[in-house]
Amino acid sequence: MLDNFYRYVVLNAGLLGQGLLVTLQVCVQAFVLGVVLAIAVSLLRVTGRIPRAIGTAYVEFFRATPVLVQLLWVNYVWPDLFGFPTTAMGAGVIALALQTSAYLAETIRAGIEGLPRGQLEAGRAVGMSSLQIVRRIVAPQVALVMAPALISQMAVVIKSSTLVSVIAIPDLMYAALKIVNEWFEPIEVLTSTAFLYFLLIFLISLAANRISDRFRARFGLAV
Amino acid sequence: MTDPPATPALSVRNLHKSFGPLEVLRGISLDIAQGAVVTLIGASGSGKSTFLRCLNHLEQPTSGEIYVDGVPITDDIAGLRARLGMVFQQFNLWPHMTVLGNVIEAPLRVKRMPRPEAVALGRRFLAKVNLLDKQDEYPARLSGGQQQRVAIARALAMEPKVMLFDEATSSLDPELTNEVLAVMRDLARDGTTMVVVTHEMAFAREVSDRVVFLHMGQVEEDGPPAQVFGAPVSPRCRQFLSSVRA
Repeated sequence: MLDNFYRYVVLNAGLLGQGLLVTLQVCVQAFVLGVVLAIAVSLLRVTGRIPRAIGTAYVEFFRATPVLVQLLWVNYVWPDLFGFPTTAMGAGVIALALQTSAYLAETIRAGIEGLPRGQLEAGRAVGMSSLQIVRRIVAPQVALVMAPALISQMAVVIKSSTLVSVIAIPDLMYAALKIVNEWFEPIEVLTSTAFLYFLLIFLISLAANRISDRFRARFGLAV
Repeated sequence: MTDPPATPALSVRNLHKSFGPLEVLRGISLDIAQGAVVTLIGASGSGKSTFLRCLNHLEQPTSGEIYVDGVPITDDIAGLRARLGMVFQQFNLWPHMTVLGNVIEAPLRVKRMPRPEAVALGRRFLAKVNLLDKQDEYPARLSGGQQQRVAIARALAMEPKVMLFDEATSSLDPELTNEVLAVMRDLARDGTTMVVVTHEMAFAREVSDRVVFLHMGQVEEDGPPAQVFGAPVSPRCRQFLSSVRA
């Protein structure tokens, strides 16, 4: 077994490592784009009636469709419809971002609506503009409240990213499957891959939780 | 030659406010002289807080005019707000900013004051409310009374023409109430123009120059505290005062 581990995992460490890098690349880009889209959609949802309807439709649609379907849809249909994305990588990032943004938009909206009215009124009472209030008062507090949701969504993105191999993005899962299909020895490779994903998500969650707890402690809030 | 009469710090003409079919303010007119301390009293639902919130447009008045220093307020709402300091019942400090951060936020962002100048100003007002030693703390670590004093410093830091107090001590324990009232007394002594909505009748009687009793959205009684508390003309005011004294 150690022999197999050495032969299939250690000797292929370069390939797996490269896959891991691609996974990170896809996930980080998808997450950042997802957060930006989520902010935009959540702002739509607290604005007027028509923007709210658009925002709600967006959230409902992307939450109720499977990631795999979205991946294939963005990769094969969007280029014909919209002329982009032009690469599989772009399609993977967009599809994961769409799903992420639909979930996060809900959380952000709840965070905004959960903020005591007085927080905004205190800003208005000293003459701050709406933009200043959003930037200086709303955003930091919503971010703090949302930290746990953001962290678990990051984990979801990483897990969903294992599907991007179906549109030929050479991520960690793709690399692992490639080795398995070449040697028909799944035990060591897939076990190692599972462990790598676990480690990645575990470490990111740990770090993010630490940071969020430190902020909460600094502000004198319950950790 | 005699001086022309001084312009009131705040003038309100025929202010109306309705929430749907419910008319909360039914035409209030008041002139608040420079340096005056005016307390608004009245039963809950009489419109005191709504009146105060209409003054800085936290509630949009249905009709009526507001003048600050003789200048009518038409569309520059942010400018109006910057000239009226507001202290809320729930303090409403920003929990993610330090005490000093709370106080200098508006001078920095709204007045675009350079940071060193804003910090000096902020420290001056924190000293005034006796909380200079807490400048680097976050609000959650302060008592309610301390938080309210920070909120007062935050409002003062914009150097407003008039300070508005909306039941500033109503959510505080009695001993904390006193430390906030002490700060308000100091401000009154310094000649700050203040409009105070309060249930603290002792404060209204001792500190204010003028007491206004509101009833069903109208000014029912208006005069110096000795008159309003001693010999109110309005039977409703008499009734209200006897109920709060009991």
